[in-house]
Amino acid sequence: MVLKNMRLAIVFIFCLFSAVNAFAQDGSGATARQVVEKFQTELIAVMKNGKQLGYAGRYDKLNDPVSNSHDLTKIARIVVGKEWEKLSEAQQQKLVDVFIRLSIASYAHNFKDYSGESFVFDSEEETARGGVVVHSRLLIPDDKPVKFDYMLKEKGNSWRIINIIANGVSDLALKRSEYTTILQREGFDALIAKINEKIDNYSKQ
Amino acid sequence: MPMNKSYICNRNAKIQQTFLSVLIGVAITLGGCATTKAPEQQQIVNKADPYENVNRKIYIFNDTVDNYVAEPISDAYKWITPQFMQTGVFNFFNNLKTINVVINDLLQAKFKQGAADTGRFALNTTLGLAGFVDVGKSVGLEQNEEDFEQTLAVWGIPQGAYLVIPLLGPSTVRGIPGTLFDTAANPTSYVGMPVQLVYMLNARASAEGALKFIDEAALDPYVFTRESFLQWRNNLATNGKAEASLDLDDELDSDVDSATTKDKIPAVDNKAAPALHLDAEAK
Repeated sequence: MVLKNMRLAIVFIFCLFSAVNAFAQDGSGATARQVVEKFQTELIAVMKNGKQLGYAGRYDKLNDPVSNSHDLTKIARIVVGKEWEKLSEAQQQKLVDVFIRLSIASYAHNFKDYSGESFVFDSEEETARGGVVVHSRLLIPDDKPVKFDYMLKEKGNSWRIINIIANGVSDLALKRSEYTTILQREGFDALIAKINEKIDNYSKQ
Repeated sequence: MPMNKSYICNRNAKIQQTFLSVLIGVAITLGGCATTKAPEQQQIVNKADPYENVNRKIYIFNDTVDNYVAEPISDAYKWITPQFMQTGVFNFFNNLKTINVVINDLLQAKFKQGAADTGRFALNTTLGLAGFVDVGKSVGLEQNEEDFEQTLAVWGIPQGAYLVIPLLGPSTVRGIPGTLFDTAANPTSYVGMPVQLVYMLNARASAEGALKFIDEAALDPYVFTRESFLQWRNNLATNGKAEASLDLDDELDSDVDSATTKDKIPAVDNKAAPALHLDAEAK
C-alpha cells in the first residue's frame, strides 16, 4: 500500500514536472536566436509582397512582428537617456507612442521590395549583463553582405531586441545621440514634431 | 539601415578628393577657433565633438554647397552617363585606390591581406581592363578597406576631436594626416583636373542613395552624420570587432536599470552620456 502510494506520488510528480516543462517550451521558450529568425522571416515575407502591399499594407503587416520582437518601450527610454526622468508621465507616454510608430514606419519604408535578399545566422554570444547578441548577415545578390548584430534582453520570459548593429554602426547609440541632442537644444515638443514629420514623410514615399 | 555604410564610404571617397591648400588653411582656422571659443558658453559638451558649434556651421555650409552645386552637376552627370559607364568609372578609381590599401596593409603588418589585395589589383588591372571591370569581386576577392587613418589607429595614435572640413566633410584630428598621406599615395591625385573632376562627379553620383537616406532617416542630420561616421571609423580601425558597441549597449542599458532603482533622486552628475564616447574605448 505504502509502496503503491509512493509510486503514485512519483508518477504524479513526474507528470507535473513534464507538464511544467512543456509549458515553458510552449509559452516562452523561444530563444533569442528564434526571436530574431522569426522576425527576419516575417520581414523577408513582407519584402516579397512589398510592392502589392504598398506602404500602408507593409505597415499593417509589420506592426505585430516589430512590436513582438523588439522591446520598443525600453528602446524609447534608453534613447533619451537621462532626459527621461525630466519628462512628465504624459510626455513619456507620448514619446513611447510616437517612437513605436516611427520604428514600424521606418521598417515599412526601408524594406519595400525584394531582390533575392536573405538572412543567415552566424553565431550567438552572451554579454556580461545577461544579454544575448545574435550575429547574422543579410546577403544581397551582387553586393557586399551587411552584418546585422542583434542585442537582446529578457523581458518577462521572452527575449526582445533592444539594439541592432549594422556593419558596426549601433542604431541605439545613433538614436541616443540624436534624441538627447534635440531634447537639450530644442526641447521635447521639437523632438515629437520631428519624429512625426519623419513618419509623415515615410508614409508619402 | 544597410545604407548607412555606403553613405559613409562615399563620403570617405569625397574626403579623399583633396585640395591640400584648403585643408591646411582649415587646420589653421579651426585651430584658431578652438582656442578662442569659451568653453562655458556651450551647455553640454560632447567629448568627441568639442568644436560642435564651428562644426555645425561648416556642416551647413557643406550641405548648401552640395545642394546648389554638387548635386545639380552630379544629377546632370548621372543623366548623361549610362549606368555601366558609372560603374566602370567607379571601378577604375577604386582599383587605383588599391595601391594605397596595399601600402596600409603592409604598414599594419597585415601581410596575408596585403598579398590578397596585390593579387586583386593585378587581376583587375590586367583582366579587368585597367580596372574598369571588377574581376576580383567575381572570383571572391573582396576589397579590403584600409587607409592611413586606420594605420595611425593601429599604431596607437588617439583619434582626437571630430572635425567637419569645408567641402570635404567629416573627419577627425587623426583623419587629417591620414587624408594627406592617402592623397599623396593615390595616383588620381597627380593626373590633373579633367580626370579629377570625373572622379569627384562619380563619387557624388554613387553617394546619391546614401545621402537621400540621411535626409529621410535623420532627425538631426548633423548628429546622425557625426555618430555614424565615428562609429564606422571605429569599426574599421578595430577590424569589425564591434566590441565597443556591445559594451556600449550594456552601459546604455544599465543606465536605464539604475535609473529605475534610484528613481526619485535628482541626477547630480549630468555630463551628457559619457557612455557614448566610443573613442575612449577604441584604445
